[in-house]
Amino acid sequence: MNAMSHVQSGNAYNFGFLDEYAKKEVRRAILKAIAIPGYQVPYASREMPMGRGFGTGGLQLTLSLIGPDEVAKVIDQGSDDSVNAVNLRQFIEMTCPGISTTTKTAECTLIQSRHRIPEQPLTSMQIIVLQVPYPDPLVVVEPSEDKRKTMHSEADYSRLLVKLYEDIVKFDEITISHRYPTRINGHYVIDPSPIPRWDVPKLNDSAAVILFGAGREKKIYAVPPHTKAEPLAFSDVPFQVEDFRDEKGRRRACARCGCTDAFLDEFVADSGGKTWQCSDSDWCDAQLLPAKRLQGEPA
Amino acid sequence: MKVERIWQADVQQRVFRELLEAFSRPGDMRDLSTWVDGTTAQRAVLATLMDGEMTLADPHGRIMDTDWPLLQAKPGASEHARYVAVDGHRAPDFQPELGSLESPEFGATLLIGVNSLGDGELSLELVGPGIDGQRNIRLAGLHPDWLTRRADWVGSFPLGVDLLLSDAHRIVALPRTTRIRISGGAL
Repeated sequence: MNAMSHVQSGNAYNFGFLDEYAKKEVRRAILKAIAIPGYQVPYASREMPMGRGFGTGGLQLTLSLIGPDEVAKVIDQGSDDSVNAVNLRQFIEMTCPGISTTTKTAECTLIQSRHRIPEQPLTSMQIIVLQVPYPDPLVVVEPSEDKRKTMHSEADYSRLLVKLYEDIVKFDEITISHRYPTRINGHYVIDPSPIPRWDVPKLNDSAAVILFGAGREKKIYAVPPHTKAEPLAFSDVPFQVEDFRDEKGRRRACARCGCTDAFLDEFVADSGGKTWQCSDSDWCDAQLLPAKRLQGEPA
Repeated sequence: MKVERIWQADVQQRVFRELLEAFSRPGDMRDLSTWVDGTTAQRAVLATLMDGEMTLADPHGRIMDTDWPLLQAKPGASEHARYVAVDGHRAPDFQPELGSLESPEFGATLLIGVNSLGDGELSLELVGPGIDGQRNIRLAGLHPDWLTRRADWVGSFPLGVDLLLSDAHRIVALPRTTRIRISGGAL
């Protein structure tokens, strides 16, 4: 009787596609992940009807969390309209009848994201799920998972720090552009998924719960709200986010909305030159709206 | 045949979200009365989390015989089970599983039934992950030994146990990262 499927009329699948046993497995892992911030909890990752590497870990989290009154937002590299986001959103809409979806960060209760955290600060009423390709930051310095688990448990990240130091020796800066190793609550170092350095400070003292799902590697980890998240750095080489300054030292603005305080994507313009635009499409739209009103155009 | 609501998938999803909020924000009281339909919060939580993969210990005989086949959990000893349901009035007389350094997720979850959450003679000050500054809770019906023993159990992070206190229809989580001080006392 327990864990009975919850099939609604007109739908061949259980609500949320996963069977209830799969959801229970993911849910128990989520609670342990929150209780041990930054620790990668192994779980029985299920086959999903899409290739591993397309966000199956994040999707299993989303489908285990989601309820009929949910307002979900799915983004891929900041955009609601790119292929990965559209496909996952359609899958969620198809398998979770009754939920609503939105592109507006302010309106959603659950966000599944590939490689970005929205520019608009999240609230305590929201949960963000990040899709993770490679969950273990130590994999670059230690091939054996057994040894990595011991290193994590002892908070032994000396070899990772040596790797960062070697970067500084060779290139005069830490060359990690995304997946920046970040220490959670003073113990575990996580791979925060391929978010740019720009988004790393948003992990610290977040109002929203941040969950990470790696489907292929079968790991779930979490950064609870109001938890310390410190990117690894040295006292004389502090962590820095991308600065987007041009040759003259001026901060580049988004070519579309003019915003100068968001993460920008670089494009090749039709003219052949380079142009920059907000990566977070909802943020860009929101900045554009007042600008249009000012010019008297219909929004 | 009428199935009690706590065994139904849509209710378990709601209970799980309350559990998620409770563990994310230690000391924050979550009310399950909309979902439990007159039964206890502890029973609703067990229905939500248990299946045949889990071991569950019931040293104080709190689980009805008729519930075991529905929970599907394997009965286990209090010292080894992944989940242990206990009566908070009674002093702890066992050491739960604390996990291993490599696999701290095997540290048990203790489901502790108390008289009331939100008011009572015991006042706790909480700090740690999930808490913006400090949070205070009051409760009644928890044997003080649970807090002293817990302090030992969670002393060497990442090893430890995670507590879920419940009264009739409310829950409060105290994961292993929460530092607890009894108001007016030291711990």
